[in-house]
Amino acid sequence: MRSTRLATAATLVLAASVALAGCGRDSGGGQDEAKSVGGGKASGEITVWAMGAEGEKLGEFAKEFSTENPDAKVTVTAVPWDAAHQKLASAIAAKQTPDVSMIGTTWQGEFAKTGALDPTPPDLIKKEDFFPGAWDTTIVDGASYGVPWYVETRLIFYRKDLAARAGFPDGPKSWDDLKAMAKGMQEKAGAKWGINLQPPTKTGSWQSVLPFAWSNGAEVASADKLTFDTPETAEALGYYQSFFTEGLAPTALPEGSLEPGFVKGDIGAFISGPWHMGIVEEQGGAGFKDKYAVARMPMKKSSTSFIGGSSLAVFKDAKNRDAGWKFVQWLSKPEVQVKWYQAVKDLPAVQAAWDDQTLSGDTYLATFGDQLTSAKAPPAIPTWEQIASVVDTEIEKLCKQNADPAATAKAIQEQASAIGTGS
Amino acid sequence: MSSASTAPARTAAATSPGRPALPVRRQRLRQALTGWLFSAPFTVLFVVFMALPVVVSLVMSFTDLRSTDLRNPLAVNFVGLDNYTRLFADRLFLRAAVNTLGFVVVGVPLTMVLALAAASALNSGLVRFRTLFRVGFYLPVVSSIVAIAVVWRFLLDPEIGLVNNLLRLVGIDGPSWLYDTNLALPSLTVMAAWRNFGFLMVIFLAGLQAVPADLYEAATLDGATRWQQFRNVTLPMLRPTLLFGGVVTGIGFLQLFEEPFVMTQGGPLSSTLSVSFHIYNQFGFGNYGYAASASYVLFLAIVALSAVQFRLLRERS
Repeated sequence: MRSTRLATAATLVLAASVALAGCGRDSGGGQDEAKSVGGGKASGEITVWAMGAEGEKLGEFAKEFSTENPDAKVTVTAVPWDAAHQKLASAIAAKQTPDVSMIGTTWQGEFAKTGALDPTPPDLIKKEDFFPGAWDTTIVDGASYGVPWYVETRLIFYRKDLAARAGFPDGPKSWDDLKAMAKGMQEKAGAKWGINLQPPTKTGSWQSVLPFAWSNGAEVASADKLTFDTPETAEALGYYQSFFTEGLAPTALPEGSLEPGFVKGDIGAFISGPWHMGIVEEQGGAGFKDKYAVARMPMKKSSTSFIGGSSLAVFKDAKNRDAGWKFVQWLSKPEVQVKWYQAVKDLPAVQAAWDDQTLSGDTYLATFGDQLTSAKAPPAIPTWEQIASVVDTEIEKLCKQNADPAATAKAIQEQASAIGTGS
Repeated sequence: MSSASTAPARTAAATSPGRPALPVRRQRLRQALTGWLFSAPFTVLFVVFMALPVVVSLVMSFTDLRSTDLRNPLAVNFVGLDNYTRLFADRLFLRAAVNTLGFVVVGVPLTMVLALAAASALNSGLVRFRTLFRVGFYLPVVSSIVAIAVVWRFLLDPEIGLVNNLLRLVGIDGPSWLYDTNLALPSLTVMAAWRNFGFLMVIFLAGLQAVPADLYEAATLDGATRWQQFRNVTLPMLRPTLLFGGVVTGIGFLQLFEEPFVMTQGGPLSSTLSVSFHIYNQFGFGNYGYAASASYVLFLAIVALSAVQFRLLRERS
């Protein structure tokens, strides 16, 4: 009895595997043709998924769209960030997607490759309106599969008072400046640490390190080629490492002690995105806004930072595709982007929105806007998150175990090319 | 007697061949059908939600399925044992395997010793406040790991943590526990033992109370010391309970995930990366086939560990 059961199970497994083996992967795929969107006003129900604060606020915000398009109704589902990737993946597998969804820029390659995303219609959305770095995050295999919604980039946050005592009242301009400022803050201004650089908290340190490689002229990765192993990258890694070996940056800073340290003047500077303005101003209390400043990434061959943010994508399985694209187009209007900034403090991805006084009037924000024009993102390839985790791991070795910069570049290249670009 | 009763039936069958056999067969078929019908709710649920996913994931581990194949999961290549061979060349997986093994080898005995010590103490010594202690020791088991993680992160904080402040009192400059490559995994091991020993303690306590008192009485009359009684009466009588405890804890500890996930994210320098965490990461990266093969390796390790424990602690006759 048992043996016949085993035989049945074995037959089943065999049959399934033969069926699978028979299928096989298609070699190469045809390019998606972007279809145009019909004219007129949007109508019908548009289902939208959005994460985080965007998910909470978008429903209310979209009412204005319904006023302009009386026949259209926008239904927003708020999805928690933790669950978003899984939920989108399940929706794609089941072909039960919403019409529009917010998508993290690093997911773009993966989801576009499944063939679930609708190519961006060029008659409706104009590439030139957006920051070039942000637009690049939507490009997969040469075609655009989404529209940048909001962006963020990384700057040097530094204490003005400490910087003045260190001899850099206007902040660092070049790589040498940044190093000298960190040193001066420790020696002349009494800071415990001249600068805080990732890692201590390991995840995502590639976002702080790659800007240095890019600023040194390294290409690092493109849609079909990974080139971490270059002298430019090795030099940038060596520069980054020197902050740790010279004792200017902490190797083990407990979670949550960066902001208090910055407010107290123990930490002179750090690299982060726009959200940190709110955090340090809240922790520093009234008047702290005058005590710190933000500066562009220091110059080497260029001053190139990392661009992040989120895009909006329309799905091929959308029930209301045309109206979905019209909603996306509406969200990309400069005046709507400014209003959206006022609602949730998301920085506009549309360049024209930055001419508005709300953004250009604030020197801190204007610095972010300035940096965004040249900020870069890694290519939208489906394996990026895995490659990024390799970069994170190797950078941790570089900074904490004093690994050789050139060997680190080589180790990253080896593992990354084993992972491949997924194309 | 029985031969007498069967004899007429046999002759009846011989006189009219085949005919009376039919109702019997039909009856049997009906019985079988009814049986299947009754078990159908379970069988269907089991096949659809248990057996099928297991078979599918096993097949998946022999393919190069990735998250980019979501829309047509059948259009993947069959790669044979490639995932498995790749796994054993994956430095990170090997690192995770070593970490997990270290965690189990130290953690399981530590948890069992702690649990047995606490259970023995509650069984003989601390009779007065037994309920209070039992609740106290059991509390970490039912608490949320997230809350425990927050508390332990505070305790182990290098600057403001209680542990290092206590060490400072006696003049020792404590290390930064969770940020040190050599101390992070031991710290998590101790924390996991602390969190899990309450469960085993309750089970061991029940086992201890089932040991007949007259055995101890006889041992006392023979002049056995407390330690000799423990060695020669308690431990042998407790062997099935110890086996259960060892297997259950071993299975749980081999699947180490929550502690590094909430405390260290696998760091520093992958020193707390566990096999489960690595599998979780691989699923996150969308390498479904590869992650499935890693899951089956972990499954085999669990089976092997349980088999070893059964062998070591089985009844000796």
